[in-house]
Amino acid sequence: MFTSILKEHKGFGKQIFLLAKNELIKTYKGAVIGPFWAVVKPAFTVFVYWFAFSVGIKALKAVNVHLNGMEHKAFSIDFFTFMFVGIIPWFFIQDSIVQGAKTLRTNRQFITKVKFPVSTILTYTGLSRLFVHLFLVIIMYGYVIFFRVSNGNPPFDWYDLQFFFYCPLLFFFFLALSWSTAPMSAFSKDFESLIVSIMSGVFWLSGIMYDSYSFSGGLKWAMLFNPINFFANGYRNCFLYHRGFWVYKTELIIFAAELIGVTLLGIFNYNRLRKKLPDVL
Amino acid sequence: MAEPIITFKDVSKTYILYKNDQARFKALFIKPKNPKTNRALNKVSFEIQRGESVGIVGDNGAGKSTLLKMITGVAFPDEGDIVVNGKVAALLELTAGFSMEMTGRENIYLKGYILGLEDEYIKQIEESIIEFAELGDYIDQPVRTYSSGMKMRLGFAINVNIEPDVLVVDEALAVGDASFKRKCKDKIKEIIGAGTTVLYVSHNADSVKEICPRAIYLRKGTVIFDGPTDETLKVYHDYKESQKKKK
Repeated sequence: MFTSILKEHKGFGKQIFLLAKNELIKTYKGAVIGPFWAVVKPAFTVFVYWFAFSVGIKALKAVNVHLNGMEHKAFSIDFFTFMFVGIIPWFFIQDSIVQGAKTLRTNRQFITKVKFPVSTILTYTGLSRLFVHLFLVIIMYGYVIFFRVSNGNPPFDWYDLQFFFYCPLLFFFFLALSWSTAPMSAFSKDFESLIVSIMSGVFWLSGIMYDSYSFSGGLKWAMLFNPINFFANGYRNCFLYHRGFWVYKTELIIFAAELIGVTLLGIFNYNRLRKKLPDVL
Repeated sequence: MAEPIITFKDVSKTYILYKNDQARFKALFIKPKNPKTNRALNKVSFEIQRGESVGIVGDNGAGKSTLLKMITGVAFPDEGDIVVNGKVAALLELTAGFSMEMTGRENIYLKGYILGLEDEYIKQIEESIIEFAELGDYIDQPVRTYSSGMKMRLGFAINVNIEPDVLVVDEALAVGDASFKRKCKDKIKEIIGAGTTVLYVSHNADSVKEICPRAIYLRKGTVIFDGPTDETLKVYHDYKESQKKKK
């Protein structure tokens, strides 16, 4: 049971890359500026949030960040920079959850017509989103360097390398989540609609526009259980906080437990529903 | 006796008919209580030996498609075991299962990988597929740009050129213009002549007789008769006649 998904991927690596590439072509081809749409949409979103909070409401020019533990005092970060670094993983997460749930339905020709390693559909569509994400990260990193230099800091930092810790985890976590959500959405359109409709709420419940560490008591704990916070804060660990991923152990342990839970649940749901998929799609 | 190439042992398949979308949503979390069901296959058992050609006859809804889907690995049984020892090529829905943005050539490889073939082997058969499909320079264009006839030709060419162990053919197969149709028929005959196991689904008694010495008659998911084609067809026709008389 545990190996069924792995087995489907075996020897299919090259095809997964090829299919991921074609997913990208399918998404962006036919538009005049083609791949730049991948940038235009997030850029506009970032602009709108910055405009609403910093210009419109005027209050938010800087965010006070309270990192946990003794080693840091609260410090203040430019709002735009804080939000920008946190929202980049969010774009990936949002697409992964919404598109990931729909993927099997949109690729049904591979399920109902031919024999196909179905779980690889989730991998190659996820991979195509990862390419877009990496592209956005490069742009963000360019901005981070600019921000550092303009504040008189050195352009690079060893903590930046933690990106290679967080990014694969980001990819895998939401891939494993789609092992549950994708077959369930294929079964029931209501489940798919449910996911789509809660997403904008999830955004505001996650520490992307605000610092999720800044609460106290029960709320602070609740925030630790939202895996989106782990990634938003993780990217900020890399590029803004100069903090190692191992420093805040409680957060790391909770996330690790969730990762295991989501993975096991994903394997369970995938195996439970896989053989019924051709009948319902 | 040698190991059979296809074995069905007490294979059953039940489709659950959900009353509405709510019932379907609920079924995700809890097992539905006495749902309406459609038993597509009911304890179907048979063995097919290597090199045998077997026809499958029966009315619409008898479970023929479900049976073929199981042999090709698309659908799965609820109960029972299915063993297929070898590569299965299906001439069922030829235009389906392509990745539209990939070129014809890339799709040949995709299909090959799904069937578990190695790069080297696919490279060997690549040219004969392209030649057979008569696609010319189009082979390096995205499949999206193909006409439906071209897609069918490519689908057919891939399936017959992978040297399948089992060939599943639906008689209602449409493969485009007359000359290509003839070419396809010849190719199918050639494959049968070469000793490939063939499963042939048809409503047409004559064509079944022509190709298959053995036939299986399915009615409402149950194997009614399994034996020499002449006898099977006789049982099938007798039943049909009796139905007509009842009316």
